[in-house]
Amino acid sequence: MKYEKKFRQEEQQQVSENQLQSQQTIHDFATPEDMLRFDAKQTMTPNSVAERLNRSLKNQPRLAQPWWKRLFS
Amino acid sequence: MDKPLIEQAPPAQLLPDLASEELTALYQAHHREIFYLNLRLLGDPQRAEDATHDVFLKAFTKWKDFRGDSSCRAWLYRIAINHCSNLRQTWHNRHIFPAEEDFVEDNAPANTDSPLRVLEIKELGDRIQKTLDGLPEEYRLLLLLVADQELSYDEVAALTGQTPDAVRGKLHRARKAFTAQFQKTA
Repeated sequence: MKYEKKFRQEEQQQVSENQLQSQQTIHDFATPEDMLRFDAKQTMTPNSVAERLNRSLKNQPRLAQPWWKRLFS
Repeated sequence: MDKPLIEQAPPAQLLPDLASEELTALYQAHHREIFYLNLRLLGDPQRAEDATHDVFLKAFTKWKDFRGDSSCRAWLYRIAINHCSNLRQTWHNRHIFPAEEDFVEDNAPANTDSPLRVLEIKELGDRIQKTLDGLPEEYRLLLLLVADQELSYDEVAALTGQTPDAVRGKLHRARKAFTAQFQKTA
């Protein structure tokens, strides 16, 4: 019983902290750019882009090497 | 040839098979901002993914021609802006609209985020997209570029075809328009 109460208190505290953190991070923007920066940070590039790029590059003609690489390789 | 910003790239992990370490570093250093710009200009995660692929493929094939006159970042932005502009002018763009639910996955926050936070971030992303969609194209692009703190006003001016002074003047109006439009999305 005692543990359950403590657990609930901790859970409530965690929820409150999360809410506070969310409110602080999401709603406190001085400028539209700040909001866009925050939004950009939350946006992840899908891994499939890198995989597709690899596939596409394999199907492309070999990229030309710089002259100094060709010379010394 | 001095090609700035490449040295900022973290170790290559995502693209082990790429043609060279240099290209891998280019991708690692800039894929996030390019994807974000594509996403907010096109308003659709799937199309932003396609565009990001196309932009980097174009950059990789043109890499040997890049003279370092601008930063790599600005060069990639130029390719992305042109690519998105072309896409937006196509018939498909004028007639096919993205589904609302597509936005759920694209703004995928870190797994450690609470469900409440995930919802809030998703809601914010949706509102930002609606807000940007409601702005004149010039303001939308200006705000997205200025939001990238690694771009100078000179670079933003070059990318938008204006003087730095004009950028500063329009930025003020763009901010006001964004704020007014954002309030309408509540």
